[in-house]
Order: sequence, then structure tokens, then C-alpha cells
Amino acid sequence: MKEQILGYKCSKCKTVHYPNRAICRKCGNDKFEIEPLPDKGKLLTFTHLYNPAGDFEVPVLDLGIVELSNGCRITGQMKIENPKIGMKVIGKIEKVRQSGYTSYKGMVFYKA
Amino acid sequence: MREVYVVGIGITKFSRLEYPLVEIAAYPSIMAMKDCGLSSVDHVYVANMGGSRLNRQTALGSALVDHLSLYPTGAETIENGPASGASAIKTGFMAVASGVHDVVMVTGVERMRETNNLEATDFVASLAHPLAEQIYGVTLPSLAGMFARLYMDKYGVTSKHLAMVAIKNHNHALANPFAHLHMPITIEGILEGPEASTNNPFVADPLRFFDMCPVSDGGACLILASKDVAKKTKKPMIRLAGVGQATDTHCVHERKDPTDLLAVREAAARCFKMAGLKPKDVDVAELHDAFTILEIAESEEVGFFKKGEGHIALEKGYTALGGKLPINPSGGLKAKGHPVGATGVGQAHEIVTQLRGEAGERQVKNAKTGFSCNFGGFGNNVVALAFQKEK
Amino acid sequence: MAIELEKLLRPVDNPVPLFPAKFVTLANGEEMVIRQITREEIPALLPHVAKLIQVERDYYDIVSARLYAELLGYYRYRVQDEYVLVAQINGHLAAIVNGRCLNPQVGVSYHTLALRRGLRIGAHAFAAKMEYHIDIMKQKEVLVVAESPIGFRRWMIEYQLEKRFEVAHELGGVPSYALTKKLFDRARSSLVVGRRPVPEKLLEKACEAILPPTDPPKPPFDLLAATRAMYDSTGTALRASRDQLEGGEK
Ligand SMILES: CC(C)(COP(=O)(O)OP(=O)(O)OC[C@H]1O[C@@H](n2cnc3c(N)ncnc32)[C@H](O)[C@@H]1OP(=O)(O)O)[C@@H](O)C(=O)NCCC(=O)NCCS
Ligand SMILES: [Zn+2]
Repeated sequence: MKEQILGYKCSKCKTVHYPNRAICRKCGNDKFEIEPLPDKGKLLTFTHLYNPAGDFEVPVLDLGIVELSNGCRITGQMKIENPKIGMKVIGKIEKVRQSGYTSYKGMVFYKA
Repeated sequence: MREVYVVGIGITKFSRLEYPLVEIAAYPSIMAMKDCGLSSVDHVYVANMGGSRLNRQTALGSALVDHLSLYPTGAETIENGPASGASAIKTGFMAVASGVHDVVMVTGVERMRETNNLEATDFVASLAHPLAEQIYGVTLPSLAGMFARLYMDKYGVTSKHLAMVAIKNHNHALANPFAHLHMPITIEGILEGPEASTNNPFVADPLRFFDMCPVSDGGACLILASKDVAKKTKKPMIRLAGVGQATDTHCVHERKDPTDLLAVREAAARCFKMAGLKPKDVDVAELHDAFTILEIAESEEVGFFKKGEGHIALEKGYTALGGKLPINPSGGLKAKGHPVGATGVGQAHEIVTQLRGEAGERQVKNAKTGFSCNFGGFGNNVVALAFQKEK
Repeated sequence: MAIELEKLLRPVDNPVPLFPAKFVTLANGEEMVIRQITREEIPALLPHVAKLIQVERDYYDIVSARLYAELLGYYRYRVQDEYVLVAQINGHLAAIVNGRCLNPQVGVSYHTLALRRGLRIGAHAFAAKMEYHIDIMKQKEVLVVAESPIGFRRWMIEYQLEKRFEVAHELGGVPSYALTKKLFDRARSSLVVGRRPVPEKLLEKACEAILPPTDPPKPPFDLLAATRAMYDSTGTALRASRDQLEGGEK
């Protein structure tokens, strides 16, 4: 199965939400369809975090907010040298955090 | 609605305090009771964010009434992230305004230095969205870093402006005996000198070490009362004239314009409306500068300056002590410290001290109207308070 | 006879180049001199280190107790190839770092003690010590351990030290980490700072006398803080210290 991050599309007004919520923020409807999020987008803003939480055994963690091609936004990690606001990026699903025995997968962005 | 007054105040030094959480709460509470001369209250509200996780203590409200031998007075704990303090004040306000109680005690307390800094940061990060933010390692500094980058890009704010906020607030704190950091810093030392990038390294690029507030322990207390009681205490009549609260999306990325802090704007507007005031009426303000960029952004959102002009006001010295509208005369979170659950009460404590004219060297002259903004989450739950001195 | 015996007990140090003094501007704008001191200056340090043995927080107690012994060992010729650097602000003692050479290739870092907090003074002093080993004495690597979490963050994490766990460190026999030349080169631009030569006046002031630290770490108000469990439920012994802390009523 292809790994995807899921958006939640309101069955009435078709607004895509990420992450999920119980009530549509636009029309108040409470029924959603699942819709995989696209992996392409542009970088809205980013930071290099030099004191990441204890779980991360890296000295610097790069984080960014990306506006995906469907207009939906997502926060994720980045592996990009010299990132610039507005640049095109492509997301891959990878392990983003290991917390004890539990590992988490999420979006990691690369230069498109 | 009845009018509500602040009759008693107390605070600990914000610092590293090596005694149990409940003692940190008890001390300012006793000070506040002594301050107004009352020996009992009708209800106790305790603001705290991390007791259960950092200190393994829950139900702090009950612990505090017991410690102060106030039982059977009712009590509860209020948790609203870093805005817990102002939330508790707002709750106390409603209790008195509604006529349910005549006197309430609102105590904010936090003990974060019991754990190490990494854990404290991780704990505060638990207010981010668990699946869409936390798993990536998003912490509050990183959200502030992303916010700052966009903001600087859009409005021409520079690292120097950020450093100016830090320097100003560190200077203010020198005159505040309760502040965590009593340490002047210079632009040479933190930004322009040859060693500056080592003294002041990036934490969440573009934000540096001296753009962040310290991790502090501390407690603060306010006693709120109805007009009748307030008159009897013979303390200066400081009225809690307005309270306003607003929320925003949990995830920062869902905000339409991520450089807008809509909850700040809305909370301030509601607060001013209730108080019948305008931003220009304010003589002294405490803003939630957990990160230097926030002082600039909030000063615009609450209506003191036009959007994008906060840093210009800063440059002109308007926001320093002696300026037109001193912001964070206490040193702010940046230098006074940020014991999360206590911060909102600490801000109110400073405003009341200023309005009473008891702030000593950091006194803002003729301050009659004060305002504070307590920022929870990364701007997703904000509480604003307005205070006025009456004759 | 006594002289003969002392000769046996006293190690002969190998000749090494001296650490050339340098200075850095701190965040508060003050200038700090880092320089190597001679045996004769050791007694001037001892009382300030001794006081910190009572500071039961952030491992100041254990670090100062051990450092005291090492300084005394240096002064009375009981350690092989040791050196001591100090950092001073306006003559006032701000940090002490020491170490020794295991052999010409490998150095051993002993202790780093910051006598003033919050200005990365300890970090600057530690960087100077590494510079001494790698750049001045041209060693291949330095063995390092941390006794405190703050130290671990400052050295192991900030420099990303290599694990050298098969080597027991001289300090307590715990597994070592190593700072290699390569790691040092990488950290050079961000962590290792300072300028030379030190302006004459500044150096003169520093060498004139080692003045007491201006704001040394103080013992916690609750003397048992370090040994208490996560949470002390009674806390009754703390009233007096609390009043002292907040300047409340006695
Ligand atoms: C380890 C040490 C040398 C680091 O010195 P330094 O680089 O100057 O750093 P400081 O001690 O000023 O600050 C370290 C931390 O303590 C905090 N701190 C600063 N001032 C403080 C104060 N007055 N009280 C308590 N904590 C303080 C800082 O916030 C910093 O934490 P952060 O990096 O998470 O923000 C120093 O802390 C020290 O001498 N500790 C005792 C001995 C020791 O542990 N030596 C190392 C053995 S390996
Ligand atoms: Zn909808």
C-alpha cells in the first residue's frame, strides 16, 4: 500500500482539511471523505531548530510549512540545503520521530 | 454585572525556586492576603499548566487551600496552556462580577526547573497538535522561528529589531527585583561583535538564544473583590475594567495569513470593548514576549500601532520606559521570566503595581490605564485584560 | 633522604608550548580574557573553588571538589603534565578549565567550572581548552566526559563528540567521548571564538591579580534539594529558606 497523508474533504462544500476535525470549518457539516494530500507544493516558511526535543538525535532539525498544490497546508520536516521562501518542494513519507519503541511517519520535504 | 477590583497582590521572584510547587503558590498568596488585610476569601482559583507532568501533582487548588488552611473554601485548578494565568483571572472576574462571590483569590504557579530544559521544552510543546505538529518535533521556539521568518520577510523587521526588544526588556528587568535575569546585554555582545554568533547562537533560525524567554519557576497572586469589599480594604482602587478572550486554529499552518495573530486582535478588541477603552488610552502594557518577535507583532495586533509598524515604534523608543507607551516595564517574559501557568497573573501583578504607583525605579509616570496580553498556545488561545485606576 | 623521596614522588612534566592568551566580548559587552596560569597562581584560585563545594546544584559540588584536588595536585606536583587556564573579567575570576596530556597524541580534559552563569562563559573556556590541545599542542584527540546534564549538552551535543566507550576516562573511570581534530575543525567557526593578541591593558589587568568572582553560584536555599526525591511532600523545613529567598518576613 502506498503511504499517504490523508486530508479530510467536507462532503458538502468540498473544503479539504488537514488535520482532521469533527465539524467543517467552512459550512458546519460533519461528514468528510478521505482524500490523500498531494505531495507537491511550495515552501511558505521554515526554521532550523537547534535544540530539538530529546527524541531527536540530530543537532539541527529543519521544519517548514508547505502550501500543497490543492491549497491545503501542512507542517513537516525538510531535507533541503539552503531553503528559500516560495521554493517548490516535494514531500515523501518517512520516519520522522522515534519515541522509545514507537516510531512515527510523516511528511519530509525535498527540493522539487 | 458588578464592578471588580484588584485589592491584593503578591509575587515570588521568577527564577529557579527549589521548594515544592504548593509552597511556590502559597507564598505569593499569603503576600496578597497581607497586602489587602483580608484573612479569608470566598473561592480560590489556581492557574497551572505543568503540575501533573513536571511535578507529579494534580488538584493544586485543593492543595493550596489546605496549605493556607482556608478549607472549606471552594477551589479549583485552571489550565489553559501558557494563558492559564489570565484565564484564571478572567474566571475570578466572572465569579465576582456575577455576584456569586465577593472575594476570590487567583494564584498562578509553575515549577519548570524541576526537570531539565529539554524536557521543559518538550512539555510546553505538548500544546501543539499531536499528529500534525508534535510528531515532527515542532516546539514553541520552532513555531516562533517560522513565524518570525515570514514576518521579517513581509514587514522588514530585522534581527537588530529583535535584539532591541531583548536589550530593552533586559534593561527594564534590572529595576525589577522579582525578575529572573538581572543581566544587561549589548548589541555588540549579542549581534554585532565578533563573538556574537557564539554568545547568541541560533535556536530556531532566525531566532537566537537571546530572543527566547528563560525557563522559570515562580508564582503570583491577585485578590479580586467587589466594590464594597474593595472600599473597606483602603487599598488604591484598581478596577479590572475589561477581560477578553479569543481562540484560533490549533495548527499554525491552517491560519489564512500565518503572520496574523487573529486571536490576539480579537481578544484585545473584546477586552477594550468591555472596558469602554481604546488602545490609545493605555499608559502601560505587558505583552507576552516569550519570543522577541511576539512583542512587536502583538503591539500591532492589540491596536497600539499599525500592522507592520511595531518595530518602528520600538526603534523610536516609544515602547521603552520613558517612552510614549512603555511595554513590559517588568522585563517581560524575556527577562522577568516565564513560569508558564503563573505568567498571566505575573503580568497583571505588574500592571497593578504600576497603576498603584509602587513600581519604584521602573514606574511609568501617571499610569492610569494598563493592559496585559497573555498568549496561549502559539496564539490559539489569548486572554487580554484591562485595568484602570480610580480615584 | 626527604629530598630523594620527593624526587620519586614528583613527576617531571614534558615540555609543551604555552597557551597564548585571548579575549572574547561577552553578550553583556564585557571583555573576558582567557589565559594560562602558573603554579604560583593556584593558591589564588583555591578559596573560590572551595566555596562551590557547598553548592549542591548543577553538579557544582562534585565538580569543584574534584577540581580542587586537581589544582592542589598541580600545585604540589602530584599530577603529570597538567595545565590550568582561567577566564577573567576585569580581573575577576569567571571560569577555570584544566586537563592534561596522556601522551603526545592524546589529551585528557578534566574540568570546566563556570563561576558566573548565563553568559556561555563555561562554553568559551571549554573551547579554549580544546584549542590548546588540538591547535597549540597539536594533539590528535582529547578525551572528554561530562558530569552534569548541562555539560553533556555543551560538549557532547554541541560538538557532537565521538564515542570512545572502550576507553575509561581518568575521571571516575566512566566511558569516554573524544573530540577529534576533525570535529574541532567543524566546530571552529561557530563555537571557538576569541581574538589575539589581547590588548596590553586588558592582559595586564588580568595578570595583576586573580580577583574573586563577582557573582558566583550560591548554594540552593534548600540544602537538600539535590538529594531529595522528585517531590518532597512535607516541605516544612523550607519556610525559613523561602523567606530568605523572597526577602519576605523573617
Ligand atoms: C557546565 C558549565 C561549565 C557550562 O557553563 P556555561 O557554558 O557558562 O553555561 P551556564 O552555566 O551559564 O548555563 C548553562 C545553563 O544553565 C542555565 N543558567 C544560566 N544561568 C543560570 C543561573 N543563574 N542559575 C541556574 N541556571 C542558569 C542556562 O540557561 C543554561 O541552560 P540552557 O543552555 O539550556 O539555556 C557550567 O554550568 C558549570 O560550571 N557547571 C558546574 C560544573 C560542571 O558541570 N562542569 C562540567 C562538567 S562536565
Ligand atoms: Zn464544508
